[in-house]
Amino acid sequence: MKKDPQKVRNIGISAHIDAGKTTLTERILYYTDRIHAIHDVKGKDGVGATMDFMELEKERGITITSAATYCEWNGHEINIIDTPGHVDFTIEVERALRVLDGGVLVLCSVGGVQSQSITVDRQMARYKVPCIAFVNKCDRSGANPFKVVEQLKEKLHHNAVAMQIPIGLENDFKGVVDLIKMKAVYFEGQQGEKLRYDEIPAELKEEAEQRREELIDAASMFSEELMEAALEGEIPEQLLIDAIRIGTLKRELTPVFMGSAYKNKGVQPLLDAVTWYLPHPGEVENIALDLDNDEKEVVLKPDPEAPLVSLAFKLEEGRYGQLTYIRVYQGTLRKGDFIVNSRTGKKVKVGRVVRMHANQMEDIEEIPAGYIGALFGIDCASGDTFTSPGIRYSMTSMHVPEPVISLAIVPEDNKSQQNMSKALSRFAKEDPTFRVRVDHETGDTIISGMGELHLEVYIERMKREYNAIVHTGAPQVAYRETITQKADFNYTHKKQTGGAGQYGRVAGYMEPFDGEFEFVNKIVGGAIPTEFISSVEKGFRSALDKGLLLGFPVTGIRVVINDGQAHSVDSSDTAFQAAARGAFKEGFKKAKPAILEPIMKVAVETPSEFQGAVMGTLNQRRGMILGAQDEGDTCVIEAEVPLSEMFGYSTDLRSITQGKAQFTMEFSCYRQVPKAIADELVKKAQEKNKKAA
Amino acid sequence: MKVSEKRKKNCSPSCCTDRDNVVYLRERSIAMLKKDLILRNPLRILGTEDKEPLKEGEFGAVLAKAGVGKTAFLVQLALSNLLRERNVLHVSLTQPVRKVCLWYEEVFHNISTEYDLKNTSELWDTILPHRFIMTFNVDDFSVAKLEERLNDLTEQGIFFPQLVIIDGLPISDESRESLAELKILAREMGFPIWYAITVRPDDALEPGQVPSSVESLADLFEVLIGLKAVKGKINVMVLKGQRNEDAGDVFLDPATLLIKNRE
Repeated sequence: MKKDPQKVRNIGISAHIDAGKTTLTERILYYTDRIHAIHDVKGKDGVGATMDFMELEKERGITITSAATYCEWNGHEINIIDTPGHVDFTIEVERALRVLDGGVLVLCSVGGVQSQSITVDRQMARYKVPCIAFVNKCDRSGANPFKVVEQLKEKLHHNAVAMQIPIGLENDFKGVVDLIKMKAVYFEGQQGEKLRYDEIPAELKEEAEQRREELIDAASMFSEELMEAALEGEIPEQLLIDAIRIGTLKRELTPVFMGSAYKNKGVQPLLDAVTWYLPHPGEVENIALDLDNDEKEVVLKPDPEAPLVSLAFKLEEGRYGQLTYIRVYQGTLRKGDFIVNSRTGKKVKVGRVVRMHANQMEDIEEIPAGYIGALFGIDCASGDTFTSPGIRYSMTSMHVPEPVISLAIVPEDNKSQQNMSKALSRFAKEDPTFRVRVDHETGDTIISGMGELHLEVYIERMKREYNAIVHTGAPQVAYRETITQKADFNYTHKKQTGGAGQYGRVAGYMEPFDGEFEFVNKIVGGAIPTEFISSVEKGFRSALDKGLLLGFPVTGIRVVINDGQAHSVDSSDTAFQAAARGAFKEGFKKAKPAILEPIMKVAVETPSEFQGAVMGTLNQRRGMILGAQDEGDTCVIEAEVPLSEMFGYSTDLRSITQGKAQFTMEFSCYRQVPKAIADELVKKAQEKNKKAA
Repeated sequence: MKVSEKRKKNCSPSCCTDRDNVVYLRERSIAMLKKDLILRNPLRILGTEDKEPLKEGEFGAVLAKAGVGKTAFLVQLALSNLLRERNVLHVSLTQPVRKVCLWYEEVFHNISTEYDLKNTSELWDTILPHRFIMTFNVDDFSVAKLEERLNDLTEQGIFFPQLVIIDGLPISDESRESLAELKILAREMGFPIWYAITVRPDDALEPGQVPSSVESLADLFEVLIGLKAVKGKINVMVLKGQRNEDAGDVFLDPATLLIKNRE
């Protein structure tokens, strides 16, 4: 492995679903000699693109797992993380962005900046990832790359500037004009592998001059030298590139490239751009928390000789055991080294070290600072930090959203039962937004995740990869329960039925609270002995797991205890826990309990003629429409809709818009369920309980 | 007298029910918050604490040079209406929905901080259903298009605006026709419209005087309010319409862009 960190690029390719990022990655791998034949996402050859290695991805034409891969271009080593485009898999995108230094935002020249691009852009901004944009599909009918550049400015507020102009569009798309070299670039050979530079076609000269002016104007904001050179009229190529690089690294300039990955056009200049404009690991500041020093922030040095700090950002259970994708931020991770998991304090020996190329791998000896690789046989969870012995650093924790939807699953037979358990434990380890639990009352296995599609994909994966056939129940929304007013409680738990008795009295009040839960002890004079206070708190906490309305967790509650009573013989930890549970029940019923439901932020992108109809469907689903953004032929409707009403929405939307609209949704907040619906839910829950009894 | 009876006696009937004799503290506190905020109505300069300064089909406008605080003023005007549970349609021709939402969140946050309000998230949830944002590209905007969109909303019973705000409509001598069409629409649908108008840099804004930028259109507007930056403050003045002398000097705090009275 070469070790020039300045020639390393860790990049992610993010985009809206179907913008063509997997095809683009496939072409990149082809031109960098990592693969020797091109397969398309929904290819006729039945092989599928190299990055979409899961069966399911190949079938649906979508990328689910962000497989890491490695390639070389012009002496640079590029690690690429292919990221999923659907919002349900956002945790994958977020994780990928956490370990990347730069991003390529792929946009469709017809669809432009779509709702998912906005989500991805927000995520890039959160992790301060500098990016360049690639306007793909310039060969499609209706292609308008400059409209996309405008949308980047208007919708995403990027200082977007075109680096190329297309030569012809739609069916006539032939190549691009490079505005730095001021040359036309044509992509020849069977797979577009031969680049031919030529004079700019006469009809494009004027436009090219004008766009170059714009580019120089934008870039000169970052370099006085360039500004002076521009005034003198003589601009060296490297000076312009350097200025654009400065702007890009500051996230104040977004260079936009154009092409058609499918038609093998514009990929090589994009690769050049990755090496020219995106940062190397040394240019990105990474911060760890020193666990031995009150979580003080420490800036990591991308020095291969410094103590090791690395982050396990993705796990995969393969045929040969657990594969852990790891990014090294500082020091070097060598085969045979001992490393420490900061979370558990466990010391482990590094066995096999590999470099991943989609689902193939190559063995390597070490992973130096700034590189991404994978380890075999390391038992850890996603997001764990590994360091050299002697230091205890943790990389900043990753933002993990709570799941909002659950599904009961039942295996078809005994064999499926065993395989299902294996699959579930692997999925839960790989994906922190995917949770598994067993409902003790019904005995059902419940899986929870970020959306319908998220869970559907796991069900499919169970079937395909583990041969576990499961039946699913109706999706269940993760409701919460809360109280809406203050209420007193005064409960005595007394049990004297032979043997040691149980006695404990707990009194106080509960009230609404802005956080999850707070326990306040205001006991004076030892009404409840100090040793039992923690028992009381434990009792209240355990009661929170199951509200009295629907049996969902209770949040937003403050419990204050101010009185109680103990018995010198009969009081115990168990007695006070039981008393607290009783007190909770008593108070909760009086405190006007309410049900909270997850509300999703929904954005529907539709042709304008269906605007009214789409708003109608959202309204019928108890949606609150926040606004409608008119964009000429299309419009975007933003709304907040209860998750429980969103099941099957994609089918409805397709049928009323002739399949021309699309939508994305993400969790927004929890909000109180209207009374009539809450009553209905409680009634159903009671009926279910009766049946179970 | 029992404590609960005493409580009941001291609060408004809307927050108690006879059914269970329970005092709903949350509802009461939201009601108080609303009352508090309504009293700080940005239009008190017009003497309209309890009634609207504009009737159905009438026009009002906030005039200022670019960047002085027209949108912030209108958002405060909208918020004071939303708190009274009046439906506000905010039409922006220059900003996307997300950005308009941010304006509301920002102004609401500033108000909450300024007056040290608690429980604001609940209050926010109660006012949100009364707001609807529509954005258009300024070049694509037409009264016919707005009317079509409004019909989409009203015919399906989704939203019935009681006040409309139009931000970003370029106003010039040629605007008379479209303003006249808007006036008809406002009359037919029964709401007043407030506009944000950017005046020319050389236009003088003086109390009681209509600036030359809108002179030829002044007859279409019942109320004109000017915002003028003077010595680190933004003065709010009535250019056309009845001024409430009791309101004293009203200005925008340049830091928060909130409307305040001079101490």
